Amino acid sequence: MKYLGWDELLPGAILFSFDEEMEKDASEVLPENRPYAETNSYKAYVGDWRVLKPVYNRDLCIDCQFCWIYCPDVSIISRDKKMIGVDYDHCKGCGICVEVCPTNPKSLLMFEEQVDNDKALAEWPEKE
Amino acid sequence: MSEMKKIKNLKEFSTSADRFEGANLLCPGCAHSIIVREILNATNDPMILSASTGCLEVCTAVYPYTSWDASWIHIGFENSSTAIAGAEAMYKALKRKERLPKSCEGKSPKFVAFGGDGATFDIGFQWISGCFERGHDMMYVCLDNEVYANTGGQRSSATPIGASTTTSPAGRVSYGEKMNKKDIVQIMAAHGSPYVAQVAPNKWKDMVKKIQKGFATEGPVFINAMSACTTEWKFAPDDTIAVSDLAVDSLVFPLYEIENGTKLTITYRPKNKIPVRDYLGAQGRFKHLFKPEYEYLIDEWQKRVDDYWEYLQRREEAGV
Ligand SMILES: Cc1ncc(C[n+]2csc(CCOP(=O)(O)OP(=O)(O)O)c2C)c(N)n1
Ligand code: SF4
Ligand code: SF4
Ligand code: SF4
Ligand SMILES: [Mg+2]
Repeated sequence: MKYLGWDELLPGAILFSFDEEMEKDASEVLPENRPYAETNSYKAYVGDWRVLKPVYNRDLCIDCQFCWIYCPDVSIISRDKKMIGVDYDHCKGCGICVEVCPTNPKSLLMFEEQVDNDKALAEWPEKE
Repeated sequence: MSEMKKIKNLKEFSTSADRFEGANLLCPGCAHSIIVREILNATNDPMILSASTGCLEVCTAVYPYTSWDASWIHIGFENSSTAIAGAEAMYKALKRKERLPKSCEGKSPKFVAFGGDGATFDIGFQWISGCFERGHDMMYVCLDNEVYANTGGQRSSATPIGASTTTSPAGRVSYGEKMNKKDIVQIMAAHGSPYVAQVAPNKWKDMVKKIQKGFATEGPVFINAMSACTTEWKFAPDDTIAVSDLAVDSLVFPLYEIENGTKLTITYRPKNKIPVRDYLGAQGRFKHLFKPEYEYLIDEWQKRVDDYWEYLQRREEAGV
């Protein structure tokens, strides 16, 4: 795809969210089934904004979905009422999901970006 | 009229397919996007959206990307309201002439304009006022972070007394902003709007209920959404929800609605009302108020908040 320079764009230019028209409104199509266009920010990456990353511990999670509703960056992946993980392409590492997680110990914790997730899980703190 | 989306609880809500995308360039922890997600997920109907210039618009349409999976209009600072009003008027005309595309059959699209407090309280105000006078079937949402955040934190007429901003800096000779915040909710109710409400994204259930009520209302609906701004209010990005909780539980941002210009209902009463001091103390923009020479301002703050709460309760009781 060739991008026009900002000074070559015509007023009234349209950016498309999807490559083809969907039969249904996007509200009825999950991201994995959407024909995202290259011009959709879904295709972009902001993972390098993070210093700390949230790591998810499935064993402790009660699927309350607090992390899902309060994540500003649509980076908590929930399907069929279950939290299934963090989208590291779009997570900016704000830490809100960790703050709102109600379990003890928490089911989400912040770790240094370079730490391996399995190692993080092995070091999980005990109940306070 | 299409059916209202059923959202019994958070688990059910979490099955929504977001129409707002990540990798926008809003700050980590920005409440604007939490608000937008709650509003867009409140319905499965097609949406026609606009945003006035400000953090939301600028950060969700960084060329060559869009973060919107619904029709969205990038427009000027002052006219997100009239852009949506125009789209709504065109939709009505096409419907009358039976020229709507097939994809609209059986649907009732929602027309929503977003604007910051700068765009709403100040620069776009007459445009919004006009839309509400004309009675367009639309919702206007103000993302109220009490400052012109996108241009570096200048005061607006939504900035509360004592806040330090780049154009009302606190220092040796000043305690920061001197003017009281404009009461935009009452101003919009005075337009005779069928539905006006104040919401906060941390109280998601109250908020989504009001948004759905707004969608079900015919005519111009105004929503003032508290948007805690990590950058300009000066708190850590992971504290956005905690600071928002302090705001509603101290009653600095009371949650209520006004129907048909007069009928006022309080929708949230904190079980444990917390002192305004705790809310102020959580944010760097109020740090100077804790110096001995400015502490009297905290007492004044508390009195203002108490008086306003009293006023809301009396109006609710009287049903006017
Ligand atoms: C007519 C006009 N005046 C000034 C600007 C510059 N400007 C762009 S965004 C902005 C601040 C927006 O503040 P607000 O509406 O509160 O939204 P926020 O960024 O805080 O979400 C300003 C002053 C502009 N784009 N257009
Ligand atoms: S750290 Fe922030 S952006 Fe990342 S998943 Fe948690 S809430 Fe979302
Ligand atoms: S907030 Fe915690 S417990 Fe709740 S769904 Fe998210 S990870 Fe699980
Ligand atoms: S400055 Fe404030 S409103 Fe703007 S993107 Fe950052 S947190 Fe959000
Ligand atoms: Mg603002």
